[in-house]
Amino acid sequence: MSMARFSPFELVLLKSRSQVDTATLLLLAWVLVHRQHVSEGQRRRRLAQVTARFRHGHELGPVMGIAHSQDLQAIQLAAEILRKECSKERSLSVLHQSITVATDDGELSLANHYILRFLADLLNVTPTTLSTLFYELTGRPMGTPEDPSRHAYWQQHNPDYFSQKAHEAAAEQQAREAAERQAREQAEQREQKKKRRQQEKQRQQEQAHARKEQTRQERERQRQRDEQQRREQAQQEQARHERAQGGQRQSSYTPPPPDRTTRALAVLGLPPGASRGDVRLAYRRMAQLHHPDRFFSESEHQVALASARFQRIKNAYDYLMQTY
Amino acid sequence: MRDLYQRLSLSSAASEHDIQNAVERCQNSALRQDAETVLAVNAHREAYDTLHQTLNDIGCLRARLGLTHGAHWQGDVANDFSLPPDHAISRHDELVDRVSNAVSLYNRWRRWRGPWLLVAMFATGAGIGIVVGFALCLGLAAG
Repeated sequence: MSMARFSPFELVLLKSRSQVDTATLLLLAWVLVHRQHVSEGQRRRRLAQVTARFRHGHELGPVMGIAHSQDLQAIQLAAEILRKECSKERSLSVLHQSITVATDDGELSLANHYILRFLADLLNVTPTTLSTLFYELTGRPMGTPEDPSRHAYWQQHNPDYFSQKAHEAAAEQQAREAAERQAREQAEQREQKKKRRQQEKQRQQEQAHARKEQTRQERERQRQRDEQQRREQAQQEQARHERAQGGQRQSSYTPPPPDRTTRALAVLGLPPGASRGDVRLAYRRMAQLHHPDRFFSESEHQVALASARFQRIKNAYDYLMQTY
Repeated sequence: MRDLYQRLSLSSAASEHDIQNAVERCQNSALRQDAETVLAVNAHREAYDTLHQTLNDIGCLRARLGLTHGAHWQGDVANDFSLPPDHAISRHDELVDRVSNAVSLYNRWRRWRGPWLLVAMFATGAGIGIVVGFALCLGLAAG
């Protein structure tokens, strides 16, 4: 025995002249509450319209209020009364009324999909009967309700959100690509700088090499000059000697060898005035020493340097062979 | 319509942070995508929650009315929103009990002539009060 007070719906029910009508009224109000895009006044008018023949004899306001509060116990009570006291014809008419109230040329809301099916189960109406009734009343098949728990439903119903998201994703992608491009450019610049530095280094090396060569040649020239001076001195002395001896003879003055020949000889590591055989021997030795194939196992750079040296040696040898 | 909260083992009042965590932990990629779209966007979640509430109500009603295996209650909805039967008694029987209880009380009241009984009780109470007061006064005067 429960000591709880009578709930508002129970009071309405006790005052009602027809409990079935009151229960139906509550369930129709429940369906109406779940209809979308309808104002409260429209709901009340519609409910009064549909239930004009009911014999409940009380106000609609409280019932509508109970339906709005989603009072589960009241709805359960109404469902029990309906199930207990509804004849077959009456149950079809209740379903008819609820379908009219739920659609009225509008869309059947998702909640009402399930509520109508609940009522059909409650009133022992088979799915075929329900779909036929629905088709007759609205001219559309009932179909299965859409599923808002799926991604696809929202893609269809809220495309704005997805297009916005796609925009954002595209912007992000662009930003990332720009950053990547910038990074690549920087890397390229660094690479180029590195290469330039390498070239610089190579050039410096070559310059150093050339300078060494030059100093060697300089020394060579110095030596030649010294020798020449010595020779001249000797000649002068000889001349003086000859003059002193009284003999007036022409001096056999030999011009110094042209500069290029001296340089070519220096490349082959020979003093000026070396013989042809010396040149050939020196060339063979130098060629063996500096042949690029010897540096095959080392770096490419070494091979390149060796071939440059070899070329120089060969040029010098060729020149000497032609002119000597 | 599936119950995403149940499938992610969340309560329907879960905070955004909890939902985020649950979505990240979810192994099923399809479910993860659905949950991201439906629960992580406020507008979508509101619409979903409304329907979720209604379906919970319907599931509860069906469980109490013994309709959990109805012809119209199939598929995902039936899987996710069918509650185990609770032991709530029939509301109609309860109403009838309560009405009969009220009626018997009323009848008893009428039978025992309730208003007269009330007046008699009031009179005896008042009489006892007066007697006690009188005795007190006498005692004080004697002291």
